Order: sequence, then structure tokens, then C-alpha cells
Amino acid sequence: MKTGIVRRLFLGAALALPMLGGAAVAQADGEHFVFVSHSPDSDSWWNVIKNSLKDAEKDFGVKVDFRNPPNGDLADMARIIEQATAQKPAGIISTIADYSVLEGPLKAAMAKGIPVITVNSGTAAESKKLGALMHIGQPEYDAGKGAGERAKAAGVTKFLCVNHYITNNASVERCQGYADGLGVKLGDQMVDSGMDPTDVYNRVKAYLTSHPDTDGILTLGPNSADPVIKLLKDTKSASKYKSFISFDLDADISNAIKDGTMESAIDQQPYLQGYLSVAFLVKYVRLGVIPANNVNTGPGFVTKANIGLVEKYAGEYR
Amino acid sequence: MAAAEQTHQDRPLIEVKDVTKFFGPVVALTGVSMTVNAREVHCLLGDNGAGKSTLIKTLSGVYQPSEGEIRVEGAPARFTNPRDALDAGVATVFQDLAMIPLLSITRNFFMGREPAKRKGPFAFIDMKHADAVTREEMKKIGIDIRDPQQAVGTLSGGERQCVAIARAVYFGAKVLILDEPTSALGVAQTSMVLKYVRQVRARGLGVIFITHNVRHAYAVGDRFTILNRGKTMGTFAKSEISLDALQTMMAGDKELQDLAELEGTI
Amino acid sequence: MADVPAAEKTAQSEQILQKTRDERMKRQTRGRKFLQHPEFGALAGVILVFIFFGVTAGDSGMFAPDGVLNWSTVSAQLILIACAAALLMIGGEFDLSVGSMIGFAGMMIAIPMVYFGWSALASTLFAFAGALAVGFLNGWIVVRTRLPSFIVTLASLYILRGLTIALSIVFSNRTIVSGVKEAAGDSIIPALFSGIAFRPLFVWFAEIGVFDKLADGTPAVQGVPAVILWALGLAFIAHVILTRTRVGNWIFAAGGDANAARNVGVPVTRVKIALFMFTAFCATVYATNQIFEFGSAASDRGLLKEFEAIIAAVIGGCLLTGGYGSIVGACFGALIFGVVQMGILFTGVPNDWFRVFLGAMLLTAVLFNNMIRRRVTGER
Repeated sequence: MKTGIVRRLFLGAALALPMLGGAAVAQADGEHFVFVSHSPDSDSWWNVIKNSLKDAEKDFGVKVDFRNPPNGDLADMARIIEQATAQKPAGIISTIADYSVLEGPLKAAMAKGIPVITVNSGTAAESKKLGALMHIGQPEYDAGKGAGERAKAAGVTKFLCVNHYITNNASVERCQGYADGLGVKLGDQMVDSGMDPTDVYNRVKAYLTSHPDTDGILTLGPNSADPVIKLLKDTKSASKYKSFISFDLDADISNAIKDGTMESAIDQQPYLQGYLSVAFLVKYVRLGVIPANNVNTGPGFVTKANIGLVEKYAGEYR
Repeated sequence: MAAAEQTHQDRPLIEVKDVTKFFGPVVALTGVSMTVNAREVHCLLGDNGAGKSTLIKTLSGVYQPSEGEIRVEGAPARFTNPRDALDAGVATVFQDLAMIPLLSITRNFFMGREPAKRKGPFAFIDMKHADAVTREEMKKIGIDIRDPQQAVGTLSGGERQCVAIARAVYFGAKVLILDEPTSALGVAQTSMVLKYVRQVRARGLGVIFITHNVRHAYAVGDRFTILNRGKTMGTFAKSEISLDALQTMMAGDKELQDLAELEGTI
Repeated sequence: MADVPAAEKTAQSEQILQKTRDERMKRQTRGRKFLQHPEFGALAGVILVFIFFGVTAGDSGMFAPDGVLNWSTVSAQLILIACAAALLMIGGEFDLSVGSMIGFAGMMIAIPMVYFGWSALASTLFAFAGALAVGFLNGWIVVRTRLPSFIVTLASLYILRGLTIALSIVFSNRTIVSGVKEAAGDSIIPALFSGIAFRPLFVWFAEIGVFDKLADGTPAVQGVPAVILWALGLAFIAHVILTRTRVGNWIFAAGGDANAARNVGVPVTRVKIALFMFTAFCATVYATNQIFEFGSAASDRGLLKEFEAIIAAVIGGCLLTGGYGSIVGACFGALIFGVVQMGILFTGVPNDWFRVFLGAMLLTAVLFNNMIRRRVTGER
């Protein structure tokens, strides 16, 4: 497998080595799968999925290409699915970041006889409507609502939702769920923080300064959580917030949970989304077997009580 | 046009009367007067800062005079922009030539006045006609261009100057104002331009030739006006003044001794 | 000159041409003349790219009918905005708000349709009117303030993107407005912008075995998507305007030297404002195609497309300094960009390498253009 990757890397630069070209596509003995995500290049959360795909490649002897629209534009993602379809892989795994955009390309892939499993973003209902084999993911609204209910139990009345990916519907769903769980109307509590850590830091700082009665914070992932953790530590104001919950995990978040800055993290266990989707597709292609129901990989809440194992693999497999 | 020339032959094409120009507190021109007749090259001489540029820009409509008036063929004229001056027959070839080096000779030649050919509801440039005219006009002045579609940038400095002059002449200029047309040219190219200036005069146009090179001026000029510190130092016919005297006049209040030392090199 | 009757003028010019056709013309070979076109560099690039992918991805489905459809659709979309960017760049200005305009125009169509119950026609017209107004404003501010268009349109980039997000949140509380297809009903607008042309022809192709058939008997490629026809149509119009009309000459003049152009009477201000409006128009065509194809508008549509458009125009031989370039070249540039973007996925290279490859391609193209331009103008 290693030599395969090295070869492919060379191909990008070496115009003078055309003989490797054919080998690049059909190099593995096993089947070729394509995993299409909606994430822009800058979203580091997807590393866990990339690692899980590598594990799956090794375990099943297949090749899985990870693809994403470099700028996070979902229309570009649709083109990537069309491209993958033209390549005729053994299976396509895709997120459903926007049903209407991806409906056409994914249905076209299935019409060509390519099996499709949907993961991560999107709902089980959308997956079924597409005619995909199954959906592996975390119901975003419910996860947000769960977080909102936890916050309510902690006594939160006014909250801030730090949205680093405002153009993704799932992100808005998470904030909406949280607001509903808390029992308040979603208004200007959702801040479009952008992806840049300095921007996130300063925009959140500005919001918290101008809304001093805020007592609950929800961040939608490491991109928004890490700068906020730093902010609360810098201003020594962590104790002011009754509940600080983040979606997803990385090293900073698990440290924050350990030292009490953060109450909990919502873990959708992305490793399973990557690994299982490949595993199910391989077995479906080879043996024709597939589970009859969808798989919810989250939400699981990571708190001080169960942080041990999470910490060991944060950012790599967790 | 031929008839008009006949009737106005005695009247100057352009008259500048006591023109004064202020820029805020700065006085750029004070009471400048000059006339240009048909079939005449009138040289405007002056050192840097003498007010030559201001005078040209006033004549070409870029600036408006603060005081005094400009008459074209006897009628008072008030130019609010370069287009007005062009329409009155006063065309200026500025030092930058208003040429775009990467565009073809034809496209430059007809810039802003492209000949249109209608096809149904659409109007297209009549490129064939434009090419033919450009080639013909260039040939008239002895420049044999291989392809009118070649970029102006491929022409020499002198040739470009000639294209700019030919353009002004072709579009009906009566008075041609040339701003330092020879300043950046070598000997051969300078003589090409000067030859063309004579040719333009022979066609019945009046030419205002701005320069600080007395030799170039003396080679083509019929009359000479010397400008110094925004004032005219007088106008002289060629028969009234020698090259050396012109040189001395132009140096103005500089000490003659300095000039004597430099004379050989100017 | 203008009042000479047309017929007489042509006869006259024919005569002059005959008279003046001299022997030195013969030295100008066809090949050399071809080399002088700004699009030559880009054409060489296109050939290079196709050879490269023909060798490295020839058997990956890239040149099968649906593979061709894939990269030609991506290229066509880019052609839409690359042509506008090229015209504007030749006219001496930039528009960095193209990408944001795509997102904004999409919302101008989707929100009225889905939330106010407007018809597809009404909201599409509304979007075009709104876009032209924004284009006018961009152009007006640039010519009025004489600030670099780079700065002015950078501001519009942020304002439009911000408005797109803010307004979609205000009206729908979400950043993706779906349900456009349903709201359009049986209007002709979706067919016009996202329909598929020549369907019977493609069915016939499948029958005679030129294309593969799907399991249900339909051809693997249904036809030519509307976006390709729109792109070719707009490119053709832009090309004719640029090379054959007075306005085209004014565009070159305005970009080459605005002051010189003004001095000979070219209406530089009007030309520039019109170019900004055309750019906004093209961005809206892009958005309309996309909206009706995918059935939804999203606030991140068109992100960074302004740079892709400018890159395509530059690969196609447009000078960043204005006054030089061609539409045909910009189309080649867009084709290179689209083929590289998709082709690199076909080769199976990890797409982490996409930007590296694209960057190298851009540099090569620009160096090549520079060399050609120097040859044309005789600069050293």
C-alpha cells in the first residue's frame, strides 16, 4: 500500500513518467471506492475519517479515494460525485450536506449501478429518499437538542452558538436543536465566526463583551472550540459559564474537559463513519450483505468521567 | 473644405489673445498672445517650466483660460474638453501620443472614430476599410507598413509619432499642436518627423510645434515664439532672427557666460 | 468619412487594398500570424493538458461520454465568468465580487420563489435586475472615485457575501434555501437554464452504440446541459463585441490607456460601467444555471470563483495591466482549469496535490504568455 501512495504522489509532479498513469487507477487488487465529503481543505476534523479510511484500505485490501471540494462549495461537491461516477468505482460514500444539490448526482451514480452509502451530514430520511443503501451518522438536530437539554439542566438561560461553518445547514441545525432543547428562540445568539482562529477568538470576545449575561456556550467543532477555550483561559472567565459544550473532539477539547473549562463534548465517533461505510460496502460488493437499518454513531457525550481513552487518541482516531 | 480655405486664407486659423492661467495662487501664464496661420509652422520655444505645457493644454481644451480668449478662424472658442477642441479642428498630439502599443495600427488610427458597417440591427467595425485607409495614409507619408494589424508597439518612435500626426490630419484637423515630437528620437527619426511636418504644412494646415530644441525648430519653423516664465518674449519670423540669436533668447536671464561654455553641446 | 455610402466605401477600400498590397506582405507567413494571437499560449496549454491526461488517465473513464460531460460542464461554468473577467481585464479593471455575486444572485432567485411565492420568471428577472444594479454601482464607484477596482470590488465581495448569509438567515433561518425546483412548477425558466438539449440525438447515439446505456435503457449521457450552450453563446457574443464592434475597440482603448482614450473621444466611463454590469450579468447567469440544476441556493455558492475567473483569463493571455487579451483565450483558459481540476481526480492522485498542480500550471501559462507577448511587441 505504501508504494502505491508514493507512486501516486510522484504522478502529480512527474509529467515525464506517463507509464505510471494506468497503474495509479487500477493499482490495488481490491475494489476502488470514493469517499466524498463536503468539507473545505481547512477543516482538520476530517483527519480522523481519513485515518479510518486508511485502516479500512489496509484491513480489506481495497483503495479508497478521499475527495472534497477545496473551498467547501457544495456545487463543486456535486461535480466531484459526477466525476467519481464517470470513473465507475465499486462504491461511493458521500455526505448529504445539501439534499437538493446532491440528489441528482447521487441518483445518477446509482442509476449507473454504483452502490452508495451516505454518512455524516444529512438525515436517515434523506438517505432513504435518495435510495442509498444506508446512512451512518449522527442526527444533528437531536444532538444539538441533547446538548441544549444538558445546558438547561445546568441552569443556562442565555447562550452563544459559535458557528464556524455557517454555510452548512447541519451547523445551523445544531444551533437550532440547542435552542429548542433550552426552550428559547434562536436569534442573534448564533455567531458566524469564520474558520480562522484569530477571527473566531476576537468575534467571540466581542460578542461576550457586548452580551455579558450569556451563561452557556455551544461550539460546533474544534475550529470554533479551540479559540474559545483559549479565550476563556486568557480571561480566566471559564467559571462564569454554567455550560460550555462542543461538538466533536480534539486534543484541546479533551484537555478542556479534564480541567473543567468545558462541561462535555458531543462525540459522533467519526472513525466509525469512515471505517464502517467502507466495511459495509466491501461486504455488500463481495457478499451482497448489508445491515437493514441505519447506524447512529452519535451523539455520545464525553465528560470528565470517560475522558481517559478518548484522550489517548484525540485528533487521530477519536 | 477647399472653399473654406480660400475665404479664410488671410485670417489666422487660431488666435490666442492675452491668455492668463492661474492654478490657485500660482500664475502659469500671463498675457500670452500668438497667432497661427494656414500653411505655417509656428514654433513655441521655451525651457522647462516656461509654461509651454500649460499653453498647449489650454489650447487643446484640457484647461480653460482664467483670462483672455482663444479664437478659431475668427470666432471665439471655448473648449471645455479635448473633444470640443477636436471638433473645432484643433488636434493635439501629446507626448504620450494617445497610442496603445499592444493594439494594431488600424485600431489605434481609428480609436474613438471607428467606421461602422451595419448588418441588420448590428453595427460592426468596417475593418477592411479601416485597414485600407490606414495603409494608404501611412503610405502617403512614406511609411510602408507591412500589415496594418500589427501592433503599434512594433513601430519605431518616429513612425509612431507620424501615425499620431497622420491620424489627426486624416480626421480633419486644421491646426495641429505637436508637443515635443522630437524629444525622444534619434537623428534619422527626427528628420523623418520634421519632413512630415513640412508635408502637413504643404497641405494647408497650421502647425504649432513645441520644443526646447532650437535646431529642430529652426529646421521647420516659419515663425518662433519664445516663452519664458509664463510670458512671451516676442514672436519672430525666420528671416528676422538667426539660430544663435534664438538660442540666446531662449536662455533668457541666464548669464551669457554660462551659455557660451555650453553652447557647443546644446 | 461616416457619410460615405457603405457600398461605395467597400469598393473604395477594395481598390486601395489592391493598390497597396505590397510584396513585403508575403513574408508574413500564416504560422507567424497565428503565433501573434493572445490565445496561442492557452491553446498550446490545452493541448499539453489533454496529452498529459490522455496518458495518465486515458483508461479511467475521463474520456468516456459521462467523463467528458463532467469536465466540460465544469469548464463551461467557468467560461461564463471567465469571459466577463477577460472583458473587464482587457478594459483595465478587476471584479473580485464575481464569486459573491453568484451566491447573492442565487438567493435573489431562491428567496422570493420559496418564501414570497413569486413565479420563476419574476424572481429570475428580479435577480438579473438586482445584479445589474450592483454591477452599475461597482463600476460607478470605481470610475467616480478613481480608486483601484481591486479595492472597491473587494468591499463588494464582503458586502455581498455578508448579505447573502444575513438575508438567508433572516428569511429562512438557514443558509441553504431548498425547494426551488418545486416552487418553479412547470415554468419554462428551469428548462431554459438547466435543461438538457439534443436529447433525441443522444438517445440515438446510445441506440447505435456510440454511448453506453444504463440498466434502465436510458443513455449514459442524456444530452448537452444548458450551461454548456449558455457558455458558448455568451462567449461568442463577447468575442464578436470585442473584435468586431466599436465598443470592442473602446474596451481595448479604455484598458490600454484610459487617458489617451478619453483624449480621442472614447466614452471610457460608460464603457467601464457597462463592463462591470456585464460581469454581474454573467455571474447571475452562472447562478441561475446552478440554482435550477441543483434546486437550491446556498450562501457559500461561488466561493473564490472570482479568482478562478481571473486565472482563466490570465492563462488565456489577458494582461493583468489591461488593454490586451481575447475571449477565445479566456475560454481555453477555463477549459484548462476545468480539465485540470477534474482530470487530477481521474488520475487518482490525492487531491491534496490539486493546488500544487494548478499553481504550476498557472505559472507555466503566464511565463509562456509573457514570452509570446514580447515576441509580438518586439519588447526586449
